[in-house]
Amino acid sequence: MAAVDLDLLQGTLDLLILKTLNWGPRHGYAVASWIRETTDQRLQIEEGALYTALHRMEKRGWLESEWGLSENNRRAKYYQLTSAGRKQLRAKTAVWTDYAAAVFKVLQTS
Amino acid sequence: MTRLPGLKRILRIERDRAGVERAVDDELQFHFDMTMRELMSSGLPAEEARAEATRRFGDVQRTRERLATIDRSRLGRERRNEWWNAFAQDLRYAIRGLRLKPSFAIAVILTLGLGIGANATMFGIVDRLLFRPPTFLTAPDRAARLYFLRTFRGKEDVQSYTGYRRYLDLKEMTTSFDAMTPFYSNDVAVGSGETTKEMKVGFGAADLWKMFAVRPVIGRFFTASEDVPPNGARVVVLSYAFWQTQFGGRKDALGSLIDIGPAKYTIIGVAPEGFNAFATDPLVAFIPTSAASATMGSPRNPWYSTYNMTWFETFARRKPGVTAAAASADLSAAFQRSYKKELEANPRQTPFNIAKPRAFVGPVLRDRGPKEGSDAKVATWLVGVAAIVLLIACANVANLLLARALRRRREIAVRIALGVSRGRLLMQLATESLLLAFLGGLAGLAITQWGGTIMRKALLDQTDAGPSAFTDPRVLGFAALLAVAAGLLTGLVPAFQTAREDVSSALKAGAREGHVHRSRLRTSLLIGQAALSVVLLVGAGLFIRSLVNVQNVRMGYDAERLLWVQPHMRGTKTDSIQSMQMLNGMRERAQAIPGVEHAARALTVPFWSTWEYSLYVAGIDSMSKLGDFTLQAASPEFFSTMGTRVLRGRAFTAADGEHAPRVMVIGQSMAKKIWPSEDALGKCIRINADTMPCTTVIGIAEDVRRGSLAETEMHYYLPISQFQPQGGGLFVRTSGEPANQADRLRRELQKLMPGVSYVTVTPMSTIIAPEIRSWKIGAIMFAVFGALALVLAAVGLYSVIAYNVTQRTHEMGVRVALGAQARDVVRLVVREGLRVVIPGVALGAIIALLAGRWVAPLLFQVSPTDPPVLVSVVLTLIAVAIAASWIPATRAARVDPNEALRAD
Repeated sequence: MAAVDLDLLQGTLDLLILKTLNWGPRHGYAVASWIRETTDQRLQIEEGALYTALHRMEKRGWLESEWGLSENNRRAKYYQLTSAGRKQLRAKTAVWTDYAAAVFKVLQTS
Repeated sequence: MTRLPGLKRILRIERDRAGVERAVDDELQFHFDMTMRELMSSGLPAEEARAEATRRFGDVQRTRERLATIDRSRLGRERRNEWWNAFAQDLRYAIRGLRLKPSFAIAVILTLGLGIGANATMFGIVDRLLFRPPTFLTAPDRAARLYFLRTFRGKEDVQSYTGYRRYLDLKEMTTSFDAMTPFYSNDVAVGSGETTKEMKVGFGAADLWKMFAVRPVIGRFFTASEDVPPNGARVVVLSYAFWQTQFGGRKDALGSLIDIGPAKYTIIGVAPEGFNAFATDPLVAFIPTSAASATMGSPRNPWYSTYNMTWFETFARRKPGVTAAAASADLSAAFQRSYKKELEANPRQTPFNIAKPRAFVGPVLRDRGPKEGSDAKVATWLVGVAAIVLLIACANVANLLLARALRRRREIAVRIALGVSRGRLLMQLATESLLLAFLGGLAGLAITQWGGTIMRKALLDQTDAGPSAFTDPRVLGFAALLAVAAGLLTGLVPAFQTAREDVSSALKAGAREGHVHRSRLRTSLLIGQAALSVVLLVGAGLFIRSLVNVQNVRMGYDAERLLWVQPHMRGTKTDSIQSMQMLNGMRERAQAIPGVEHAARALTVPFWSTWEYSLYVAGIDSMSKLGDFTLQAASPEFFSTMGTRVLRGRAFTAADGEHAPRVMVIGQSMAKKIWPSEDALGKCIRINADTMPCTTVIGIAEDVRRGSLAETEMHYYLPISQFQPQGGGLFVRTSGEPANQADRLRRELQKLMPGVSYVTVTPMSTIIAPEIRSWKIGAIMFAVFGALALVLAAVGLYSVIAYNVTQRTHEMGVRVALGAQARDVVRLVVREGLRVVIPGVALGAIIALLAGRWVAPLLFQVSPTDPPVLVSVVLTLIAVAIAASWIPATRAARVDPNEALRAD
């Protein structure tokens, strides 16, 4: 299966990050690896864009950050959802599901 | 994540610009290290792992910058939010604090309100006199009032008034201006029949409209072709307010006729609301100069071609790019050419090289220029006075806040001990005083609204309500500025005091201790207050004495119960014989009215009009070198009517008629000037030309003040029947209340007026009032502000002494227990009050003595170091100090030693 260029799907990266952080606080590297592993490397995510999205969502108040210690005892910046972020995740999930269902429905009729 | 406001800041390191970038770098570094480690652990060599990590990331440099930008803007917003939250919290806290102590809040707000109100009121007046350009004026920086200088008898004299011929010369001979217009305003009878009223009307040329950015509300303005001598078009532009009140704002007012002065004018337009040209008093209408001047002058000497009638001021606008200096030079050259033309027409004029004529463009506002009124000078002084009142108010508020801060020492120490930062604490105290200042500012605006109306009505003789203090942006801005300044000034003193506080000693100490070193600051505030009060009260004393002197000065006539009756001819043309007969008839009718003691015909009115003729005396080359001699032409009853005393010789009688030998009465100083060592009685003066027959001096009268209250004039009197001037009116002395008599007189005499002509009756006191006004304003305002300052100082002293007495209850208890009498305790406390006030009074007296020479020119026959004023002010202050410390002193004397020693 060919890799999908995520740039095509606006806002999807935000949704993926929110979903990832829904399991608890993570640093940027962990978010990147988790997405890569979960999608079996089928989504091509430029990590620079991922960090930009993290910082942008922090500015919007969806995420909060805090410096903490990583698994190997290094200083790392941990992100976690705020209540506004959780609300965003719910809303975006609903939209995305509807969207995907609609597109899929169109593709089915042939 | 839990949000601990204090804690968050410790963990956040990226608060500044460099911090933000460092944090981004740290984060990305961590990411690369982790990626590398993972890739290498799967067997990739370091080189390839680095390449793969970079490929996965994308453009590192660009991302780095983008992240830093996002973070910076996020931090900025967070910081602003935090600040606003803190501010809102402080505000809530401050409001709660004030509501718990309403008496304190009211005292502070009222004190500040009085201070700010006094200043905003004075600002509103001075702003109008000195700063605010006329409404709608285009390019106020290029607009100018023209001033002309000539040297007379070795002294350079500045004049702004000029005549039409001069204006035409200047307009033609200058190139620096793109607009030039005469402008003046006059009280003129407007309307007809019973509704006729004297109102202020403005006169100008078509260029007037060019100098202002205005369009007519309806109709049009007059044009240059309607303003041409000898007879301009009889058209009028109404003011907006007049149009509204007289015509109900109806459009059909256009084209209708209105009586203004001696003629009927066609209404052609309405000026926009607020337009008042260059005038300060509200005008009702605007008329072309040439239309209004048509009746002036004489056929031999028409108004538009003579140089020696001056009745208006000239305004001009410099062309863009022409400097004031260049325009003045241009104007000067034109004035000099014009002066030479004048010399050709009138060779008796002062020669060119003696008069040294020159001219310059001055500020549009009269009071900014060389001919400033004394009102403006006094008003400028009052600004200083108001500022002093504000300083005293601030000192008082600072004192109240200090006392409050001392009471709150423990609370504040507890908060510091709990870790609230001192900066935060300062912010909070500042918020409280700014809130107080804001409320004080509102109170001040209310006082300004009220005080401004009173000032304008009672003191400046202006009946218009003026702009509301709440909507005038300039007054509003000024009041806001004062409020912030006052808030910071009063808030910072106790705040810094608090910030310096030693936490542990404050926590340990009771309410009693620790006031000793701090009271030094409060003492110096009190000394300053006392000193400023002395300065203001000395000012009040000096102005009140000036006012008394002005009112008691011998004018050379008795202005009480004296009325001036002026007939205004309208429509009918009367020759001099008819006018003379009419005036004689009016005089006889007036004399017959019950309650009228005397009535006399006269030509001129003190302070309103003067008349001069060239005089010739044998043995004296040039009379004009001796000074100005003004004349009054009057009927025989004049001296008894005016109350002017004839000191030697005799007054006129009915026998000094038209065909009798010519006689005159001269003033004392005139007699002394012309014949320093001889008796003037029986001497001969020739009037108007040295070929005229002798006019014999038959009496010497006391000197009169008729141009200025400060000095007497050289004045002489001619029998009106021999002099036969055009115009003039009657002086009438009544026995009763002049206001009632005035109306009765007007109604009686109106019956004698032909056609639509009418008479006006003006009490002499009204004519003199503007002359006295500056001293009256000075006396009233200094007295009001001085009393205010005294009350504030007394309250300040009282509160400090009372506070100290409370602090020393324990000590007083010990004293009483050890046998001190109530008298001793009272003396102790009062002495403490005096120890503060006496240095303040001494300081204030020194300042008053030093400032004296600046105020001297505004006083009237009072030395600025007048001992009675100084002594009585000093005694007043000391008496007030004793009174202010008396109440706390008696309270201290009643201390029950048992209770005092047991407490705390």
